Amino acid sequence: MLDLINPSRIFHWIDKLINFINSIFFILLLIALTFALILSPPDYLQGDSVRIMYVHVPSAWIGLASFTVIALLSILNFIFKIKNFSLITKSIAPLGLMFTCLAIVTGSLWGKPTWGTWWVWDARITSMVVLSIFYILFILAHKLIKDEGKAYKASNIIAIIGLVNIPVIKYSVDWWNTLHQPASIKLDGTSSIHTSMLLPLMLMLLVLLLYCALILLMKYKTEIIRIKRKNIKRI
Amino acid sequence: MLTKKVKKRVSFLSLLLIFLVIAVFFILKSLTSNILYFKSPTDIQLSQDIISKKKIRVGGMVKKDSININNQEIEFIITDLKNEIFVSYSGTVPNLFLEGKGVVAEGILKDKNFFIADRILAKHDEKYMPPELTDLMKKDVK
Amino acid sequence: MIENFISMNGYGLFVWLSFAITFSTCAIIYYKTYKTMKKYEKEFAKELEQLSVSERQLVLEKSRIASQVLASYNKSI
Repeated sequence: MLDLINPSRIFHWIDKLINFINSIFFILLLIALTFALILSPPDYLQGDSVRIMYVHVPSAWIGLASFTVIALLSILNFIFKIKNFSLITKSIAPLGLMFTCLAIVTGSLWGKPTWGTWWVWDARITSMVVLSIFYILFILAHKLIKDEGKAYKASNIIAIIGLVNIPVIKYSVDWWNTLHQPASIKLDGTSSIHTSMLLPLMLMLLVLLLYCALILLMKYKTEIIRIKRKNIKRI
Repeated sequence: MLTKKVKKRVSFLSLLLIFLVIAVFFILKSLTSNILYFKSPTDIQLSQDIISKKKIRVGGMVKKDSININNQEIEFIITDLKNEIFVSYSGTVPNLFLEGKGVVAEGILKDKNFFIADRILAKHDEKYMPPELTDLMKKDVK
Repeated sequence: MIENFISMNGYGLFVWLSFAITFSTCAIIYYKTYKTMKKYEKEFAKELEQLSVSERQLVLEKSRIASQVLASYNKSI
């Protein structure tokens, strides 16, 4: 059992996992794209512009989920000072920022043909912009503060403060009048998206989650090599 | 089991979070009128001294059979099923501007029942389905 | 059929642009992460080569990670 958490064992499994995801990724991507762009029907109201949903919604979910994970790990890290957690949050943050920005950009591209505008300052969209600002602050804290311990502390606090924004984003469409429509898929699992459109949405989510896993595994591997190199003489 | 340091950090964090939640709650509460992207016809009926030169947004549903187009002028009624407001607008409308669907109009209020819009945005709902399905549903209704 | 697929009934620009932006951003980040990983692998291998023969053998024997990194580096060149 102890052998499982042996670093060389972990390294071995990371390599295997990376190869495995690489081998299935393009097939899955092709299937998801076929469903999203060809096989799924257009919407009764929005026509083919509804296909933007298949990249917009998973991006927004991943952006939100990443920050939630970062904030929860930051809380644990703040209390118990586990250095590994800072390394994890540090590598998730750029991915989360990327997907938050993608959600905003694709949302803008979706808004123009359907709502009739690229941009409005309604509660949902504004709170998403606030989320991206928190991501940027978090990353800047690591970039600008030279002292490692202080950088971790600052970024932890930023993430914990940003956590308050997450429920605001989630419930913004229920609490206030917004141009953005309410959630289609509720927390209790009910959905107002027809199955023929839910399938490509879930496939695309799977593909993008696998992509995130791939990037994080590669970053983790890089980190292990970096640490090993530092004490190569002492191995 | 928990050391004194850990306990201290936990209490600091819980205090910080409670403080933050309360602060954010009050900030959002006091900003509500700014956060609301649009007012409903009922909001306008209930409010006092709303008629001014300031731009506001009114939102709701486009009333069935209320769209009237002559030349460039489009007239329609926004309803929230309790109150209604008459809107006049000249210009192009988004594709999703349809009877029975959501709409947000930006412009100036003439009086509580008459609104002059200079921008129309469409607001769609959270339901997504293929066109064949709505045809079936319409048949069912008939 | 094909024309319809490209024009998306008039929404083509928006649909294709949002898919293109999403996947090209993903590709760029993937490429950058991959390059950084390879860079560290290379530096690690270089450092190994600078050690004396006996030292290197000792490191490779003791650490499976070191031998794996070296193997993957040798494969990529």
